[in-house]
Amino acid sequence: MNQDAPNRPDPDALLAEAKRQGRGRLRVYLGMAPGVGKTYEMLTAGKRREKEGVDVVVGVVETHGRKDTEAMIAGLEVLPRQPIEYRGRQLMEFDLDGALARRPKLLLVDEYAHTNAPGSRHPKRWQDVEELLEAGIDVWTTLNVQHLESLVDVVWKITGVRVRETVPDSALSAANEIEVVDITPDELRERLNAGKVYVPETARVAATNFFKPENLTALREMALRRAAQTVDDQMVDAMRRQGIEGPWAAGERILVLIAGDGMSSALVRAGRRLADLMNAPWTVANVERPNRPNRDPQAARRVAEALKLAEQLGGASVVLTGDDLPDAVLAFAGRNNVTQIVVGKSRDSRWRILTGRSLANALLRRSGGAALHFVTAGAPEERTAPVETAPRRRPHWWRGYAAALVLVALANGAAFVLDAYSTGADLAMIFLASVLGAGLAYGLRPALAAAGLAIVTYNYLFLEPRFTLVIGHATDVFTFAIFIAVAGATGWLSGRVRDQAQLSAQRASAVTALLAASRRLSAASTQDETAQALAEQASAAAGGRAVVLLPKGEDLVQAAGAPTTVLLTTGALAAARWAWEKGEPAGAGTGTLPQVGWTFRPLVGVRGRAGVAGVEVGDTAGADEERLVSAMLDQGAVALERAELAAATVENEALRRSDKLRAALLNSISHDLRTPLATVMGSATTLIDYGKTLKPEVRGDLLISIREEAERLNRYVGDLLDMTRLEGGALKTRSEWTDVRDVLAAAVGRVSRRLESRKLTRDFPHELSAVETDPGLLEQAIVNILENAIAYSPDGSAIDVAAYEDRGNVVISIEDEGPGIPQSDIERIFEKFRRLEEPSDRTPRGDRNKGAGLGLSIAKGFVEAMGGRIAAASPLVAGRGTRILISLPKATPTHRLLL
Amino acid sequence: MSAHKPRILVIDDEPQIHRFLGPALEAAGYEPVRADTAADGLAAIANRPPDAVVLDLGLPDLDGTQALIRARAFYEGPIIILSARDMEMEKIEALDLGADDYVEKPFHVGELLARLRVAMRHALNRAGAPALIHAGDIEIDLVKRLISRGGEPVRLSPREYDLLAHLAAGGGKVLTHRQLLTAVWGPANVEDVQYLRVFVGHLRQKLEADPANPRYVVTEPGVGYRFMAD
Repeated sequence: MNQDAPNRPDPDALLAEAKRQGRGRLRVYLGMAPGVGKTYEMLTAGKRREKEGVDVVVGVVETHGRKDTEAMIAGLEVLPRQPIEYRGRQLMEFDLDGALARRPKLLLVDEYAHTNAPGSRHPKRWQDVEELLEAGIDVWTTLNVQHLESLVDVVWKITGVRVRETVPDSALSAANEIEVVDITPDELRERLNAGKVYVPETARVAATNFFKPENLTALREMALRRAAQTVDDQMVDAMRRQGIEGPWAAGERILVLIAGDGMSSALVRAGRRLADLMNAPWTVANVERPNRPNRDPQAARRVAEALKLAEQLGGASVVLTGDDLPDAVLAFAGRNNVTQIVVGKSRDSRWRILTGRSLANALLRRSGGAALHFVTAGAPEERTAPVETAPRRRPHWWRGYAAALVLVALANGAAFVLDAYSTGADLAMIFLASVLGAGLAYGLRPALAAAGLAIVTYNYLFLEPRFTLVIGHATDVFTFAIFIAVAGATGWLSGRVRDQAQLSAQRASAVTALLAASRRLSAASTQDETAQALAEQASAAAGGRAVVLLPKGEDLVQAAGAPTTVLLTTGALAAARWAWEKGEPAGAGTGTLPQVGWTFRPLVGVRGRAGVAGVEVGDTAGADEERLVSAMLDQGAVALERAELAAATVENEALRRSDKLRAALLNSISHDLRTPLATVMGSATTLIDYGKTLKPEVRGDLLISIREEAERLNRYVGDLLDMTRLEGGALKTRSEWTDVRDVLAAAVGRVSRRLESRKLTRDFPHELSAVETDPGLLEQAIVNILENAIAYSPDGSAIDVAAYEDRGNVVISIEDEGPGIPQSDIERIFEKFRRLEEPSDRTPRGDRNKGAGLGLSIAKGFVEAMGGRIAAASPLVAGRGTRILISLPKATPTHRLLL
Repeated sequence: MSAHKPRILVIDDEPQIHRFLGPALEAAGYEPVRADTAADGLAAIANRPPDAVVLDLGLPDLDGTQALIRARAFYEGPIIILSARDMEMEKIEALDLGADDYVEKPFHVGELLARLRVAMRHALNRAGAPALIHAGDIEIDLVKRLISRGGEPVRLSPREYDLLAHLAAGGGKVLTHRQLLTAVWGPANVEDVQYLRVFVGHLRQKLEADPANPRYVVTEPGVGYRFMAD
């Protein structure tokens, strides 16, 4: 290690150190058994700290009614406990969120190995402590050595008590300090007899057994040794950090092989103990055979649990694949310089040992340099959980065997009919056919059963002498031997073929499902669509309900569900939030909130977490479904990210366009206001400075231009004010009986001077109903439309103004002979600043008479404010001309007449 | 000034501007030439270079600064920019690109004509720079590098002198911050407008009768400085 640079600190060690900074510090008061005074010791030290001015809070302490302990708590701040309902009882549990909110410098949390009430965030208290440390709070806690995961087996062997509340060894290794609280076994027994040790009434007999002097001595040794080992580890760590060449064992690497039988977890614990002794890294491996369907769900569960246990105990876990078990193991061992291999020597593999086919033997023959450790099976520990051990067989597993029986019976019948016409060898073929059929239809085992049955019945019924299993003729012996061989081989082969076909079919359906999911995901364009597609596909793959939750601001909300009506419980939501915040799976099958019945996985894409997906845990979910779901979720995360990016792009584009429009708007207002002003000022100053030298007609022209530009400016300012009134909601409309013809005449009068040589025709009927409207606003609207018509039509063309009645409305029509408006733009001519977006080649050069493009927009606003409607039609004739129609409801004269 | 009337090309798309600027220029003794687009204007410059150009930056067919760059490719005469007050950046960019001066709309005809005169005089001087520059009681001798105020020598640091010499050589023309910084401090310091503020302050202390209301070193807010020579 570090041979090229002997004094350089080990980067791994530095990394681990960096990770520890900012974390709270953990101190564990370690004892050999209950009653040694751990809690008392912790409280004493805590009180000392408090006197020194440290912010110390008691998170949870079990006094068990002991007076001296209770006295110690007095004076310290105690966090209130949180009530948790469980099966009708109220359990008072440690309040993790309360502690996190209170954020003391130092928190005292008794009983590190405590199991939390179901419904708490974490199943175990050491996980609560982990979260507290993560939040930067220092924690002191207490622990008895028998609760250490790797010592459970040893403790059981010594004391006969199997400890249920355990703490993974890594949780103790994480401690910055370990303080051993030690008294002699004799002293402890005295205290027990004096009633100073809390023991529940029901466990008094067990306790007396447990507190035997030899047990206590053994436990004491374990506690002291474990503490010493931690000190040793810390020293080695420190040396590695500082780059000191260490005395640690060089290059030992341990591989633990597990097979899913009852000893898996015992093997893992043995591996951990060996690793501790050697101070070596260790890995737990399971070998999967790709060509064999995993038939035993219980074994799969055991493997998964053992691998998880390995990680809890601080080891690595790996799943190897390969048809040849020893080959796969030795290849891995060779690659990873494994020096120690731990294997189980289970009691039920005697047949395999006899045939030399056991893994242990194969390894023994071929293991090369590695040392082999055999662990023999102890107690059948896994049998202790009866609910879980009931094997989940496939439904109707017996069907194959029944079918085999029927097929062989049919073969017998056929053989009986044909018996009269043919020889024994032909009959054998019929039996072979039945074996083949059983294999193809129901797989390996029914095929082998059929083969066995066929062999027996064939011999018994059709080989001379009949109705015995004895074979008479020598030739028949030969025939029968071949028959046995062929029947066996046929059964085996056809069974394998069928099993493999089924397996490939399963994989093909998984691939198909993935493909379908990927297709649906890529078809979805918005985030919500993507989330819905993902939920539906995940639900289909897992065979249960599924949800997708996406972040919305600070919160995490359900964006999709399959079915869409899925409603998550508060507990499930909490698990989802946890998965989101920590980036780790939560809920069923994990260490966090496992009771909720849903498994939530963070959706991690390329740029980070995109959301959380939850799948309801069904009865049928197996490893294959699990893999499929997880592959799907990976795709989903990327798809969600893509949708989010797309949405952001659209939003940016809209923002950019609105920015551009605002800049154009400002530019336009600035230009339209300033140009007339510049003309007025320039003409005026020209007259002032050079008035005397100018010709009279030039002087007159300048004066006219001043008046025209002032008028133009006035119109523009009027437009802007009208627009502001409309937009600001300050527009007040009067309502009076109005003759539209009067208003039209006034409007025409106002624009007449600007008509130049355009011909304006009027077409009003003699009788026209009145409308109830605001004549001032209507006049302005009409003036705006007329000015627009003038601005957009060539000099000398005609402008037609008409008014008529149509279905209860009075309609005003204004037509020009201008260039017309393309059909695609007709909807938009009433938009504000419409002129801005016109291509410049449609704007006649130098003609700024058009105003800012507010006119029609204001006309529309006014007409609609008066309860009327406005519309445009163009082109009218030969691609030219625009017609604007204003329609106002006729006044109802009734109440007027009554007045 | 030569015998012919100086020709002033006005490039503006607003007919109203031509309507009063034409008679005004004529009355002031110039010959106005009208162009309504940048293309027309550039063609007019290429055909027969005018004595000065008045260019509106808001043209419909070409961005004003683009028009300026093209014109500067083959025209060295004075160019006065017409621009709106709120188009600050556009204005500074135009000055940096070689425009001689600017007038904000709306403007007094007298002001535009004054700027035109300064720019044309400066253009005439460009060939043989004057050795002596006078501004009130200040005399700047660019050959001997001597400054005097009311006959008394004024002591300037080398940087202060460089700055004053550049301003004075501009002959009443506005010089942008960027132009001054590049010339005096070098291209690396074009963003350091605060240097300029400090040194202009020093110059005013030494040259102006009332440094708080300067007459000679005049600030063009947000744009630059100009030196008001006689």
